[in-house]
Amino acid sequence: MADDNIKIVSFLCNWCSYGAADLAGVSRMEYPADIRVIRIPCSGRMSPKFILSAFREGADAVWVSG
Amino acid sequence: MESKKTGSVVVIGGGISGMLSALDLANSGFYVYLVEKGPSIGGVMAQLDKTFPTNDCAM
Amino acid sequence: MEYPQAVPLKYAINPDVCLKLTKDKCGTCEEVCPADAIDYTMTEEMLTVAAGSIILAPGFKPFDPSRFDNYQYANFPNVVTSMEFERILSATGPTMGHVTTFPKLPANPKKKKDKLLAQKRKDPKKIAWFQCVGSRDINKCDNAYCSSVCCMYAVKEAIIAKEHAGSDLDCSIFFMDMRTPGKEFEKYYENAKHKHGINFIRSRVHSVTEDPETGDLSVRYVDELGQIITETYDMIVLSVGLEISEETRDLAGKLDIDLTEGGFARTASFEPVATSRDGIYVSGVFNNPKDIPESVLDASAAASAAGDALADVRNTLTKETLPVEETNVVGDRPSIGVFICDCGSNIAGVVDCPSVTEYAANLPYVTVAEETTYACSQDAQDKMVEIIKEKGLNRIVVAACTPKTHEPLFQETLKNSGLNKYLFEMTNIRNHNSWVHKNNPDIATDKAKDLVRMAVAKAALAQPLKEEKINVNPSVMVVGGGLAGMTAARSLASQGYETHIIEKKECLGGEALKLWKTAQGEDVQKELDALIQDIASNDKIIVHTNTTLEGVDGFVGNFTSQLKTDGKTTPLEHGVAVLATGAKALEPDEYSFGRDDRIIRTLDLDKMFKESDPKLDTVKSAVFIQCVGSREPQRPYCSRVCCTHSVDNAIALKEKNPETDVFILYRDIRTYGERELLYKKAREKGVIFIRFDVENKPEVVVEKDHLKITVIDHVLNLPVTIYADLLTLAAALVPRKDERLANFFKVPLNDEGFFVEKHAKLGPAEFATDGVFIAGSAHYPKPVNEAITQGRAAASRALTLLAKKDSLFTSGNVASVDVQKCSACGVCISICPYNSPSFLAEGRFAGKADVNAVLCKGCGLCVASCRSGAIHLRGFDTNQILSQIFALDEVS
Repeated sequence: MADDNIKIVSFLCNWCSYGAADLAGVSRMEYPADIRVIRIPCSGRMSPKFILSAFREGADAVWVSG
Repeated sequence: MESKKTGSVVVIGGGISGMLSALDLANSGFYVYLVEKGPSIGGVMAQLDKTFPTNDCAM
Repeated sequence: MEYPQAVPLKYAINPDVCLKLTKDKCGTCEEVCPADAIDYTMTEEMLTVAAGSIILAPGFKPFDPSRFDNYQYANFPNVVTSMEFERILSATGPTMGHVTTFPKLPANPKKKKDKLLAQKRKDPKKIAWFQCVGSRDINKCDNAYCSSVCCMYAVKEAIIAKEHAGSDLDCSIFFMDMRTPGKEFEKYYENAKHKHGINFIRSRVHSVTEDPETGDLSVRYVDELGQIITETYDMIVLSVGLEISEETRDLAGKLDIDLTEGGFARTASFEPVATSRDGIYVSGVFNNPKDIPESVLDASAAASAAGDALADVRNTLTKETLPVEETNVVGDRPSIGVFICDCGSNIAGVVDCPSVTEYAANLPYVTVAEETTYACSQDAQDKMVEIIKEKGLNRIVVAACTPKTHEPLFQETLKNSGLNKYLFEMTNIRNHNSWVHKNNPDIATDKAKDLVRMAVAKAALAQPLKEEKINVNPSVMVVGGGLAGMTAARSLASQGYETHIIEKKECLGGEALKLWKTAQGEDVQKELDALIQDIASNDKIIVHTNTTLEGVDGFVGNFTSQLKTDGKTTPLEHGVAVLATGAKALEPDEYSFGRDDRIIRTLDLDKMFKESDPKLDTVKSAVFIQCVGSREPQRPYCSRVCCTHSVDNAIALKEKNPETDVFILYRDIRTYGERELLYKKAREKGVIFIRFDVENKPEVVVEKDHLKITVIDHVLNLPVTIYADLLTLAAALVPRKDERLANFFKVPLNDEGFFVEKHAKLGPAEFATDGVFIAGSAHYPKPVNEAITQGRAAASRALTLLAKKDSLFTSGNVASVDVQKCSACGVCISICPYNSPSFLAEGRFAGKADVNAVLCKGCGLCVASCRSGAIHLRGFDTNQILSQIFALDEVS
């Protein structure tokens, strides 16, 4: 069971990791429900500001993947 | 005897090849009838797991 | 329903087994269907349609190995076909991608017999693949041809099986010749051997027996040294060939088109997608066994051939959809509609959708929240339009599956209801939620609420975006005047587009000028002449000979190229470009090439045949050496055309004089498809084939009276010496490796110097750069018919772009610069991979950065690197992403 207090913010690139997360679903894999995905057009879009804001909003971890 | 031509094409088979023929024709100004005997299009390719040589997902 | 990813993903009733239809019993499905989609009264209807052309793409059926008694497919549960193994590897297949023995048993068997067998299930440790089951075989079946794809799919299945089951899985492939003559295939094969440790055993298996206790299979075969070996495997995969079904043969009969011996449609090398009957075209495996990218090329080529025949009636029957006028919502308070999709039970089976809907209805700015069974279905879409209009919504959120597949569909719905398509946000509560948290419905429901809240927050900030219109110059530049280039030009000109062919030599024709005949026996020069005449007499085609390309500016629809002819440079404006620069034969540096005029290359032999050189009459012993410069460390690809070419020329020598001794020294004979029949014919005519290993290449010694060639015979395992008076080297085809051209169009070259297409399977005639297409041997070595197919395919792809003349738009998700904030530092200009930003040259804000929306791919690299915060990425703007972050937790 996922701990209610844990929140991982993941910034996923639309072209690869977001598709991979889709595929994880298609393949019916299971993983803890602590992740909140924010779709970004490319990992090049990432700005440190987003990471800091996520932590400030109480995220326990930030995951950028692209 | 030259009869009048019709600006439409019938494509028989809804596999990868038939679908793409239909798309190219439709996108270049022809009316297309895509005919498939089964209940879905996609043919054999859609049932494959991965494709060589890139090991991409076939879907 | 055939499999979970079928399109449309709809169940269909099989009328042969349905109880309601056959016995008028049951009827359960009608009662339980929530959409009232069951109608038992629907029957077959006969429709008559008028059409100008027909394209046949009926595909193939996998060979059924039940009739082979030596492999016992019908009786041994652990003998499966490659098609079945493909489903076993698939995550959505019967075993969910888990490789197991007894794979065809139900997951939870009910029958007693099945239960007993299921107890014997285990993870296999050793799997064997048997090649050429139902191919290259006229003893047990009538398929003399090679199915072309099985070698590669077997290698792939073995690699993937190891990925699934762990690297200690022992995989062996039993084969006759390893046929991997496609782009990047040889490297894949080499990696399979050396990186993945897959065993390749050159042998045709004699028989298989089963241990009735365990289901293990014992295989007897003769190895290369002639020893009989018995080995046990847990599973055997039969690499079944491709066959034309009876149904397709019947269809061909009804349409009165000619078939080949193997039942494939008969086509000519110079019209490779036209059947024997005018107006009927063929593509895919019915046009000879082939792999996916060649089927894709066939598809576009058939479209081009069918379209060329109907060029004068193009656009006469297509229907225009009238765009709905867009409502201006700028400045309006957001009024959001949220649609929660059940996706049948895919989402609603896990997530409490009514609760999510109720929750969404109370979020800020949300006017209406609706739950729908299938948001993507036509009726749901119509209802969505109705609600948008009725409630005056100006932002839409859909919580359903993935935007990667369904966003365009919903955006179309927005357009139909008069909203700008960018006033839309989609959130994924299926792939990222219900499917991956199926055992935690409560948590999944909470997560769905979070995701909807984040999407609503972002949608509230969405702005209508403009897509820049791209004007398409209705003209084409084809670089290269060989077969592929000329074919593309002829097709595009016949559709009415001005086409320029750029050829650096003084005449058209390219490498084909050196060929004698095709694999099907057509006279290349005669056909080539006819094609050149066609080009010369077409007033839409302008040929620039002795011309080179000196530079290219612009982008899709609007290129300007600099052509240099006789030292003079002139600009050419064009909308699209086709690159068809070909390949050329290697100058070998081995086998004493160049030291004696009896040692020649394949094309030199073609020349002798073409000119009926009297020297050919004196040849008493001729030798061909294959793979000269191909499949070597410095050139790790197969040149694809040489096996067939040498076999064909060997037959010609034998036909000229049956007394001539002809030897072909080879590594694997790769006469794919029905070219295999030539290989068979050569053997029947007495051509002697001797296989050698790359470590033990033949040795050539030039002597006065003859050439002395020594090779280790693979049957005798002893050196054999041949005294020959003609040695033909099947020299590799090497690409021109034109880095300058690649840079002009920003298109990639692979390690060997061939152009890299957009997608290895689905985009083989185009580049990732919009508006640039590829054809011929510059892509990969190919024979006449395949070069022409790709030429036509490139034309077809280009035509779909040219036909959009007024309706080609950029994406709205592009970067834009706030000139007030821009400090003109130039970081965006240096960082952009697409050369999209530049400094404004004039006007009030001269010196500030500006983004060209046409070139911008919307990656956001410049936005993230702008130190002044002056660049915005429309649709993914900073405030929008922050709003999602701020909405992570509910505001309490």
